[in-house]
Amino acid sequence: MLSSSAPLSPSAEPPDRRGGHRIELRGVSSGYHGHKVLEDVSFVVEEPAIYVVLGPNGAGKTTLFRTVAGILEPYSGAVKIDGIDIARHEARTRLQYLSHIDGIPDGLRVEEALRFYATVEGATDPAVEKVIGLLGIGELRSRFFSELSQGQKKRVSIARVFLQERSIYLLDEPTTNLDPKLAREIRDLVLGLSKDDLVLYSSHNLFEAKEIGKYVLALRDGKVGYFGLLSDLRPTKYIIGIRAEGAEGVLSSSDRKGDYYLQELAGPEEVPKLVAELMAKGVRIREVKEMENPLEELFA
Amino acid sequence: MPAESARRATSESFALAGTTIRRTIVIGWRYLAIGTGLALLLSLILLVATKHGGTAFSMTFPLEIPLFAVLGSMGGLMTFTSDRTKGVFEYLIAYGVRPRGLFTNGLLATAAMSAIILGLALLVGLGAASARGVPLTTDLLKAIALYTVPMSFAGALFTSTVGMIWSSISTPRAGINSPLGIAPMFGVAPTIFVLIAAESAPTVDYYYITVGASLAIIAAVVALLAMSARLMGRERFLSPL
Repeated sequence: MLSSSAPLSPSAEPPDRRGGHRIELRGVSSGYHGHKVLEDVSFVVEEPAIYVVLGPNGAGKTTLFRTVAGILEPYSGAVKIDGIDIARHEARTRLQYLSHIDGIPDGLRVEEALRFYATVEGATDPAVEKVIGLLGIGELRSRFFSELSQGQKKRVSIARVFLQERSIYLLDEPTTNLDPKLAREIRDLVLGLSKDDLVLYSSHNLFEAKEIGKYVLALRDGKVGYFGLLSDLRPTKYIIGIRAEGAEGVLSSSDRKGDYYLQELAGPEEVPKLVAELMAKGVRIREVKEMENPLEELFA
Repeated sequence: MPAESARRATSESFALAGTTIRRTIVIGWRYLAIGTGLALLLSLILLVATKHGGTAFSMTFPLEIPLFAVLGSMGGLMTFTSDRTKGVFEYLIAYGVRPRGLFTNGLLATAAMSAIILGLALLVGLGAASARGVPLTTDLLKAIALYTVPMSFAGALFTSTVGMIWSSISTPRAGINSPLGIAPMFGVAPTIFVLIAAESAPTVDYYYITVGASLAIIAAVVALLAMSARLMGRERFLSPL
């Protein structure tokens, strides 16, 4: 179980207000063909930051993004962007949405596809050149989208997000299918956005979520299970792995996972003390890392 | 500001329709080639079979073109189903395009494809007929204007409409047992019914029936789409993948 000093109420409201933008859901139930996937979801997001949306498969993450983006009409409740109902076009022009599906039309080359979306969004031609440079897809511009690899497709799909500056970004699994280097670049871009803008970001990668998220919104069975600061999440046990030489007889070999000796501590603050003790006993430490991510417990 | 916003929305709608038509030509070029090729082939066969001063060409040419123009709907339908499956509609709806707009784009793409088949078939067919000495009589031109052209568009738009609605309410299937596989049969049906009705009602002016039927089909298309756009949940336009 997780402990947290942040309010656990589904309508928890982060305290800071700097960007002046706001996503507000009040009692939202939404789904497909009359079947509710989200039920009575309420939260307010105001502080510019990355809000990581987590949850097991089927928890309602994609449905939440589609509902906030105005793609799905809620069965009940209200979705407001900067106080404007999402059904109004004015609210939609403040959002940028990235689906977990590429959404690039057939029959177009990469540059044409970006121009297609630039047209739909009312973006300018220089914006297309800018995103081609930003995502490093210049060499793909003349190729048909259908000929690209999964990773290349994802890059093109992400490029669309940067065609037009918005104040709110809804990014559903943006780094899926990307190699680690590009995933890092995308995360850096998203971190840049989060300085001034609201970013809702879903991921199955808990380490990525922990790395970039400031807030966590965890969904469970279509309801908000936790909403608060990531830093307030405390796992009930803190386990580290130590890769070291000369540790036989000092660290128990029965608690090993691969090359790592496992040690359960009260918290990260105990790590320096343990490391110092081991070094004093002649253990040559090569690596120390967390073996469990506190976010894992949100999936349990 | 509202005027500026409306002007931009109109401009974006035109641009979206233009891109959709261009993509449809790329995606559906095979149907374009088959429809145009078959129409021209049959026209040439008719011309060869028509003796100097004969009427075989004039009697048959206006009737056969709509059957091939219906193939234009396949391109529009392919683009529609592909956009739905690939998640393009999801983005367009997020940008504020309404389901009605998605259907309208599909219809415009179909109309453009059918217009290409129809235009090429008429241009080459009538040109070749003229070169072979077949008289382009008032009756022939009247048949083209009051039967061939309206029935070509009516049949294609009807096919496209049935296919778009069907594919929106079903999970994607491949092959002949899919909306794309069965739609052409729906498209040919109105043309054949109109022909039978006109032939079996000799006392009534033939062209009242053909033009009336075309208008009725187009009205049905508009009504079906308006009703569908209103009644269908937006999740119908999302990719089932």
